[in-house]
Amino acid sequence: MKKLVAFLLALVMALSLAACGGNGGSSGGSGDTGSSGGSSGDAGSSAAPTKLTLILRAGTYADVIKECLPAFEAENNVTCEVQELSESDLYSGIALDAINKEGTYDLCMVDGSWMAEFTENGVLANLTELGYALDEDVIPATTAICYVDDQLYLAPYYGNVTVLMYNKANVEAAGYAPDQIRSLDDLLAICKSAQESGKKGFIYRGDNQNNLVVDFLPILLSFGGWVIDEANKPTVNTEEFKAAMNCYLELIATGEAQVKDDLIASVDTGAGTMGIGWPGWYTPTADSTADYIALSGAASAGAEAYNSNVYGIWTIGVPNNSQHKDLGVKLLSYLMDAEVQKGTVPSGGVPCRYSSLQDAEVLAAYPQYEVVCQALESGMYRPVIAEWTQFYTILGTEMDNIVNGVKTVDQGLADAQANLEQLMG
Amino acid sequence: MRKNRLPHTAESSARRFGAGMISPTILVLLVMTAYPLLFTLFYSFTDYNLLRNLQKPASFIALGNYTKLLSDAYFRQAILNTVKFTLLAVIFEMLIGFAMALLVNSLTRGQKVMRTLLLLPYLLPTVTVALSWRMMLSPNYGIVNQVMETLNLPVFNWFSDMRTAFGMLLLIDVWQSAPFVFLLLYAALQSVPQTQYEAARIDGAGAVKSLFYVTIPNIKNSLALCALLRTIDSFRLFDKVNLLTGGGPANTTSTITQYLYNYGIKSLDFGFGSAGAIVMTVLVLILSSLYIKRAMG
Repeated sequence: MKKLVAFLLALVMALSLAACGGNGGSSGGSGDTGSSGGSSGDAGSSAAPTKLTLILRAGTYADVIKECLPAFEAENNVTCEVQELSESDLYSGIALDAINKEGTYDLCMVDGSWMAEFTENGVLANLTELGYALDEDVIPATTAICYVDDQLYLAPYYGNVTVLMYNKANVEAAGYAPDQIRSLDDLLAICKSAQESGKKGFIYRGDNQNNLVVDFLPILLSFGGWVIDEANKPTVNTEEFKAAMNCYLELIATGEAQVKDDLIASVDTGAGTMGIGWPGWYTPTADSTADYIALSGAASAGAEAYNSNVYGIWTIGVPNNSQHKDLGVKLLSYLMDAEVQKGTVPSGGVPCRYSSLQDAEVLAAYPQYEVVCQALESGMYRPVIAEWTQFYTILGTEMDNIVNGVKTVDQGLADAQANLEQLMG
Repeated sequence: MRKNRLPHTAESSARRFGAGMISPTILVLLVMTAYPLLFTLFYSFTDYNLLRNLQKPASFIALGNYTKLLSDAYFRQAILNTVKFTLLAVIFEMLIGFAMALLVNSLTRGQKVMRTLLLLPYLLPTVTVALSWRMMLSPNYGIVNQVMETLNLPVFNWFSDMRTAFGMLLLIDVWQSAPFVFLLLYAALQSVPQTQYEAARIDGAGAVKSLFYVTIPNIKNSLALCALLRTIDSFRLFDKVNLLTGGGPANTTSTITQYLYNYGIKSLDFGFGSAGAIVMTVLVLILSSLYIKRAMG
């Protein structure tokens, strides 16, 4: 009996090894085919398709890319595997793969704020060297962070920019029309009016440091402040920052902190009145209860109007250790094509292109793209510094303390300034 | 002479055979446990950053990471939060799990059904648990606030309010992990000899006396094991915090692991993160040693 069991076990093991060996051989084979890169991709349908791996931000951002892939796959004899991740997982996914000599990914989606860190450390391939250039149809301001020393590393793909998302009925009940919201004082008046009628005013995302900082930046910009100066020195303990913080505290006192999904639901249902949002979150229609506008950039009536729209643009690039750089660039060029990008609009795509955002047909169906286009023309990228992750963690932590009354504005900002100066050397 | 050498040779050979047999296990343990620990310890003395390391190798900074870590008020707050959470979670989970085990063990019918139902929360993935509770406690469409509003009770923004966020995390952890305690203690209760209960009853002991003089002494090793496992697990709490509060509001729910994620892992500063991991390991060992000593003694 024991011999029989031993024989059966040996047989199972031999079969398993044989099966593994078979797979290994086949994957090795496909790997070989893959590593021949562009030539195999172009070789025609007789060769095995090359596999490209894309690492993207989950949500509409990835969805619009996925819908474009079948045509590219058919045309270039490739198959595309897509990994869709949250923002933090996407960042660590790209970074962890960057240390490998042979990378897994052939196209990656990159947040503008990671650009400095990625290019300083050679994570991204030089697109100029690979023969790709942006055309003039792309909104110039959105390309600001895509170049290092005139060399292109990224292409602005999804035009996310902060907007003011509001509930139409609540704003109307406060006696305002959308085009009458001209300053932060108007926002405060509307939110206070909503609060008096038993609704919540301003909803903000307080669930992590990044969201706290990003939602606040448009308010800070409206006061003429910013988080660093031209020499990359922190400027969070300034009069402008304090004034913006005090205004923000007044605004959020009319509402409460919620996570993104709750914020959207609140504004949509009218339980909440407004909040800082992104076009990728919500697609307003003529019948929808909510809509969005670009912030005016003025703190109060008659005050100077600053550029207060903050970019959250999702750019696309090719990792430097990609095994199929040529095909990666080919895919990038295809995805950035004006017609292909315009085709993504009905699915929620927001191209950084005039030909899409100013197209008469597009505007007839999606009038909000006029606002998005204006915001994209004059947006601000978050600071392009390699320490941005640590920077927003420190600033967000102190802002969280201020918002929750653990520290005063003066104390919190002084602590933030000291810690940030230490970080930035 | 020959007679003396024979047993010695046999003993040596047996020893060699034993060592040969155990060496694969020791090798696996060394590779899987000792190596990562030594690796982490080594990097805790460097300024290793995953991305920066591509251009510039990590430098040795001696105790720099430890000094920075221990002088950071937010890390000290994270240690306090973690210890507070661990103590409260272990106490509540042990009490509730033990009560559940006693209840189910005393049932004459329906034990299997009750056992399965009570175990369900423990079988769910933590992400599912966290997201389900987030939906139930949502300030917009959450059933909890709706019920409270109907009953004219005050409603809260549970995960964003400093008064409630920590308590909610504790509640969710207890809800999910008490069944684990129940399972272990229920199995232990099954092995308590019924004759001891009968003897206690004949001696006039009531239910409470039977509990303290028969039940608990018989399952004390299982109780210690449960407490040890729950302590280690609670100390490493991360996923629920990261998904539900991110350590906020105002660091009131920040645990050691969440702190390490925010300040070390997220920014890829693995040198700093490694120092935090070493400090955490030492703290877990100190806490666990009390239980281990008691269980082994």
